Amino acid sequence: MSTPARGSRSRSDQVAHVICLGCGCACDDILLTVRDELIVQAEHACPLGAAWFGDGRVPGAVRVHGRDCEVDEALEAAAALLGGARGRLFVFLGDELTCAAQRLALGIADRLGAVADGVVSETAPAGILAGQRRGRAAATLGEIRNRADLVIYWAIDPDQRYPRYRSRYAGYPSGLHLRRGPRCRTVISVSVGADAGPAEADLRLALRPEQEVGALVELRARLAGRTVGEAGGATAELTDLAGRLTRAKYVAIVHDGESSLERRSPDRTEALIALAQALNAPTRAALSTLRGGGNRSGAEAVMTWQTGFPFAVDFARGFPRYQPDRRGDELFGHRPFAAALVAGSPASLPEQVRRGLSGLPVVVVGPRASEAPFPVRVAIDTGTAGIHEAGLGYRMDDVPLPLQAVVPGPRSATETLERLWLRLEERGR
Amino acid sequence: MSAPTRLRIVGGVVHDPANGVDGAVRDICIEDGRIVAEVPPGTPTVNAHGMVVMPGGVDIHSHVASSACNHGRRLLPEEHMADPAPAPALLPGAGPSRSGTGGTLPSTFTTGYRYAGLGYTTVFDAAVAPITARQTHAEFDDTPIVDGGFFVLLGNDEYLLRQVDAGERDRARDYAAWVIGATGGYAIKVVNPGGIQAWKSGQRDLTGIDQTLGSSRVTPRAILETLTDAANALGLPHPIHIHCNNLGVPGNVETTLETMEALDGRRAHFTHMQFHSYGKTAEGGWSSAADQIIEYVNGNPLVSVDVGQVMFGPATTISADGPVEYLLHASSGRKWVNIDVELETGCGIVPHTYAERAAVSALQWAVGLELFLLSEDPWRVVLSTDHPNGGSFLSYPALIQLLMDRGYRDAQLKRVNARLLAGTALADGLSREYTLNEIAIVTRAGPARLLGLRHKGHLGVGADADVTVYARDPEIARMFATPRYVVKGGQLVVEEGQLRRAPGGRRLRLSPGYDAAALRDVRRHFEAYGTVAFDNFAVRGLRDAPLEIG
Repeated sequence: MSTPARGSRSRSDQVAHVICLGCGCACDDILLTVRDELIVQAEHACPLGAAWFGDGRVPGAVRVHGRDCEVDEALEAAAALLGGARGRLFVFLGDELTCAAQRLALGIADRLGAVADGVVSETAPAGILAGQRRGRAAATLGEIRNRADLVIYWAIDPDQRYPRYRSRYAGYPSGLHLRRGPRCRTVISVSVGADAGPAEADLRLALRPEQEVGALVELRARLAGRTVGEAGGATAELTDLAGRLTRAKYVAIVHDGESSLERRSPDRTEALIALAQALNAPTRAALSTLRGGGNRSGAEAVMTWQTGFPFAVDFARGFPRYQPDRRGDELFGHRPFAAALVAGSPASLPEQVRRGLSGLPVVVVGPRASEAPFPVRVAIDTGTAGIHEAGLGYRMDDVPLPLQAVVPGPRSATETLERLWLRLEERGR
Repeated sequence: MSAPTRLRIVGGVVHDPANGVDGAVRDICIEDGRIVAEVPPGTPTVNAHGMVVMPGGVDIHSHVASSACNHGRRLLPEEHMADPAPAPALLPGAGPSRSGTGGTLPSTFTTGYRYAGLGYTTVFDAAVAPITARQTHAEFDDTPIVDGGFFVLLGNDEYLLRQVDAGERDRARDYAAWVIGATGGYAIKVVNPGGIQAWKSGQRDLTGIDQTLGSSRVTPRAILETLTDAANALGLPHPIHIHCNNLGVPGNVETTLETMEALDGRRAHFTHMQFHSYGKTAEGGWSSAADQIIEYVNGNPLVSVDVGQVMFGPATTISADGPVEYLLHASSGRKWVNIDVELETGCGIVPHTYAERAAVSALQWAVGLELFLLSEDPWRVVLSTDHPNGGSFLSYPALIQLLMDRGYRDAQLKRVNARLLAGTALADGLSREYTLNEIAIVTRAGPARLLGLRHKGHLGVGADADVTVYARDPEIARMFATPRYVVKGGQLVVEEGQLRRAPGGRRLRLSPGYDAAALRDVRRHFEAYGTVAFDNFAVRGLRDAPLEIG
């Protein structure tokens, strides 16, 4: 039997080529079986993906002050709260929205003169900022799959948080530019302290956290035929590694763009970027930055094209101002907000943002808004992007993908945000 | 207040070269978004007495809405911080009024407002990787006023190269047709044919058009022939759009002329010609070879070019031409983005500054002007800066002044570094000054004709009601920077020099026919090598119908 076409409901109620936003891999080969409007099976999905799809049921509540009400009433309350607030506002782009909904949420932030931010502001700022200083040498994941004859996993074993990364994007290629089979590429696993690379590798290297940046700098120096004495004891291994890197045809350096290491040492990402860039003198190389799911890469893309900045934007002066140093505790400690709008899943709120919102009147429009793990003034449950809502979504490598609506859900986030926008326009603010 | 569906632009001096109108005083009548012969009495009017009336500008080659542009925007926070763009004061209900930022790669809304503010109403993004096309549509959705289209990158596409290798030209044509339709694109773009694939494969010596790619039989010449014939056989309104090999390299005039000769007898458009018109001195240095290129173009009516003028000031080089961007990064040391795009193409971005005192910048500036000033047919040598590569689209008014005002041009020529300019036509003195009608040709009528847009670039009955009205000003750059009125699709978007309405633009796209049986093999290719399923490739739900072909 051939697989059913995309979006088709064949006799067995299967929907093919569904995109999973369980992590940033955005695997687009998921075959869902749907029965009685519930997802009963997610073929090809990893455990993370299966959990992300669940059975497709989400709450459909609408609440103001914890009391159930009609959407109109909730939208009116939200518009009054946001439009009538005295003081500055905060708009957060959470996970599980399509780009259409993100565009509207950002439009609301613009109209309200709010501070707008997204998930990556807390999970991946170091890499983004380093990229703004240096640029980056990167590739879409298919390029790694088809070309990389040497893959280094730098302080990450993707199997934990990006379970299908290795099989889909760095597994056995089909012979376009690499020969087929398991010997097609060399795998190098670098562990940094407790952040281990994959156990299975052709070469393993362990560094102490305090050695890491020095080792990256030293590697880069070796490419230019120099040593800078930064290795801190791992010299022989680094000499070997530098040789392998230079001899490879196409190097992929895989790191976790959302690891806690990023926050501990912002310099490490910059050193990884610099190494990947420098490798393009003797050979070709790309840095593959692993990112979480929920279309947070989409939020970053939308913020960039609408404002010129990927996160941490303040519209208070009537135009976007970039405030990358004012995030999290720094942002909320600076000057209090009068109210906030969370667009997207409230569960995706980073801890610092959650803390910052405590005590504020908050409007949440998104999947499971009514189950927010913090007090909410207005909660409007919506469908989830890619399960109940079709639209544009992004893979971790900024490849845009067509999300499908697989089962019916509560009201659409896009339409709800559009209605909120119109109400705010009516209020003239 | 809703926009009137009828409008009469009264008493302006009309330059509508496509209809042979060169400075005649006449009214322009508009109804339901089109130019009509007459409107009833009592129709709202725009007083254009003494002003210059032209069709809305048409940009044939720009970088405004793409995944690559967004990588560029992300790279340049310092530019955006320095150029805030508050939301325009539009009439109530007259479109989205959104703030943004500028710089060489402005945010989307700001891009739309600023293009319209210059009197441009149609813009093509010249380089979209098919796999990222849905982002281009989403960005255009947030780029108000202008009608937008884009060219799809095919000159380094793995599937296409395999067909070239196998001599399967019909299959290549069907594939190209499918990609254009599936992505909502408008034309075939070739960037450094074969050279990006070579860069991705570690082959750094692909410099001649008859050199083979790795161990295959694929050469730049074969890629160019295949895709040029495909575009022409499909009857695409715009022929193949070619960025030649060896961009920016001294002596590349040889490659450029070889490429043009390889396609002799076929319709083809060569883009940002300035970057491909360099000679080489005996010592290996740079010189102008604009005269050789323009001589060829003047003598070959099937060839068209846009100039890709360099303007002094900040720029951002952004191109699918990854190897060129690498070299620019390596030589300038400035920050650099490279993205290898699976199975299709590359992407490189490096900020750049063209300085009057820099010898190479001055030469590039001079080469572009020579192409313009030695051109015998403005219909085939049209205006671009390859925004933002040679400079921002905001520098078009200054470029127009350079073309129209010899005094202004010579004054700038005196300021620039003349080290590489000895013996150039520009340094020897070119007295030509473009007329208003020639400006109307190179900025609207010509690009529209080269793009095959029958309803754009002119003011004849039935044309799209895209009209720009300029108040005369002795300072030409100021005149073209601040049109008094701009009408887009019949709506008055600029009134008294102020942006007042921002309707959404239309998407200009095609859906050429192909042999559906050819897709079986394409599907196999996706299944074997792709990471995006064949069934997830095509962009669905586009709101504007494709334009008719033929």
